[in-house]
Amino acid sequence: MASQFELTRNITIGQYIPTGSIIHKLDACFKLLSFTIMLIAIAICGTYFGNIVILAFSIALFMLSRIPIRYGLSGIKPAIPFVVILAILQLLFYGSVASGGTVLVKSGFILITTDSLRLVVVSAMRFVEIILISSVLTLSTSTTELTHGMERLLKPLKYIKFPVHEFSLIITIAIRFVPTFAMEMEKLMKAQASRGAEFGTGQWWRIVKRTKDMFPLIIPLFNSAMERAEDLILAMEARCYTPGEVRSNYKRYHIKVTDIMVLLFSILFSILILFYPFPY
Amino acid sequence: MAMKPILEIRDLEHVYMKNTPLEHRALSNVNMTINKGECIAIIGHTGSGKSTLIQHFNGLMTPQKGTVIVDGEDVLNSKIDIKALRRKVGLVFQNPESQLFERLIGDDIAYGPLKMGLPIKEVRDRVEWAMEMVGLPFDEMKDRPTYALSGGQKRKVALAGVLALQPEILVLDEPTAGLDPRSKIELLDRIKKLNRKENITIIFISHNLEEVTYMADRLYVMANGTNIIDGTPSEIFSNKNILKENNIGTPETVEILYLLQDAGFSIDSRQYEVDGVANQISSILQYFQEVRANGISV
Repeated sequence: MASQFELTRNITIGQYIPTGSIIHKLDACFKLLSFTIMLIAIAICGTYFGNIVILAFSIALFMLSRIPIRYGLSGIKPAIPFVVILAILQLLFYGSVASGGTVLVKSGFILITTDSLRLVVVSAMRFVEIILISSVLTLSTSTTELTHGMERLLKPLKYIKFPVHEFSLIITIAIRFVPTFAMEMEKLMKAQASRGAEFGTGQWWRIVKRTKDMFPLIIPLFNSAMERAEDLILAMEARCYTPGEVRSNYKRYHIKVTDIMVLLFSILFSILILFYPFPY
Repeated sequence: MAMKPILEIRDLEHVYMKNTPLEHRALSNVNMTINKGECIAIIGHTGSGKSTLIQHFNGLMTPQKGTVIVDGEDVLNSKIDIKALRRKVGLVFQNPESQLFERLIGDDIAYGPLKMGLPIKEVRDRVEWAMEMVGLPFDEMKDRPTYALSGGQKRKVALAGVLALQPEILVLDEPTAGLDPRSKIELLDRIKKLNRKENITIIFISHNLEEVTYMADRLYVMANGTNIIDGTPSEIFSNKNILKENNIGTPETVEILYLLQDAGFSIDSRQYEVDGVANQISSILQYFQEVRANGISV
């Protein structure tokens, strides 16, 4: 009850935990690149041993970044029901698709093979791995660094007329305003509750009513978003922002040896994981 | 008349983000007793816990420690009707004009009473009463679109939206912030009238000490999450030591009186309202004139 209106506390997007570790000091551009490579490796790797190695590696990443592991675990928590339901469905109905290996259970329409069992376990592990390494990425990189990194990474797309700078500006602004709108929403919820409003208390099947209940929040929120957008435009133009102009950056990036080492390491690691003949 | 407190706060405490590295103690040891029909001002610097405190008055926040008793009922009582509590204690947030959502003024004000499930006739009466109370003519304004109003008028609509619940206590968080001087005075007079004529207990947060002396029967000063001192404006503003010790600013009129006192004139620091100060200044000026007329050099 006390926390009914506390939205801002639950927002983890853009959360950054500065510990000054070696991972924090890496160039965001290379971090993103390495992250993408690891992601591909995780998505392809289908062996028990390979996934155990990756899982251990993701935990090691947390230790290296000196971020308490509970931050990563708190990201896993909300995904648990999803993972469990998916695992059950796969276990029950995937036997006929992944029909290799030996049959473990066969009764009625349920068919469980060693292959389908492996699929279930590996999928669950993939989930945990992806959440962990993406947590390391976002917790160790500030949003500005991240968007700058993305902008530099996408720079080659400029040659096919992709508006790279505008794209990354949009993302920066969107992330920047998440907490602002959460705060605004919190204030509106309180104000409307003071006038007798109720949110999300109607029965779930009365969708129209529950949607209507949200109007007193959504309409003012939309209004203020528009006003904020106009203010932002004025503020940017007052500081001579011109779209499409060549812009210099306040921060200069120099590629360091460690950055390249990290990239090479993640490529090698992924190749190893994917092609080493694990027995299981 | 035996005074029965309509709002009682005992040892209230609130900690934000409890048990995290970002833990922040917003309130500790707050004690207040507010009687029916009083007009109370709460003053204090930014971050002294004023806004957190008033959210406890209508159950938006529940006490982590201590008690809040509204009209004899403990808000922590599990059987309390929270919606009835929120009707009894009307809360008007800072810049309430941002909460308007209906297309027409009348519809927006009717939102609260409609949510109460009142018959349409009663809703209409309440909207009419609330609009008259804030100075918006009912017949003329009720069907006007809300977006075409000025800032001051929007704020009146928002205030009427809370008044339509017919609260016994009206709590306002900086009601005049950002308004032009004329709308400010008008709004204050409307609120004062609600207090005097309709006998609604008023509690308001303010940074403007002129406003406080103009409105309040009593005031509470908050600092670092507790109420450090309370009393009538004359008790507090006429006591130089209290002002200095607690780092409270002074209204301009009080400032002038103390300047005159420092210059060696005898003044009555309890007469700090604009009229009183004007009288004192004119009597000093008169004294000068007499002295000059008698030909004695000063």
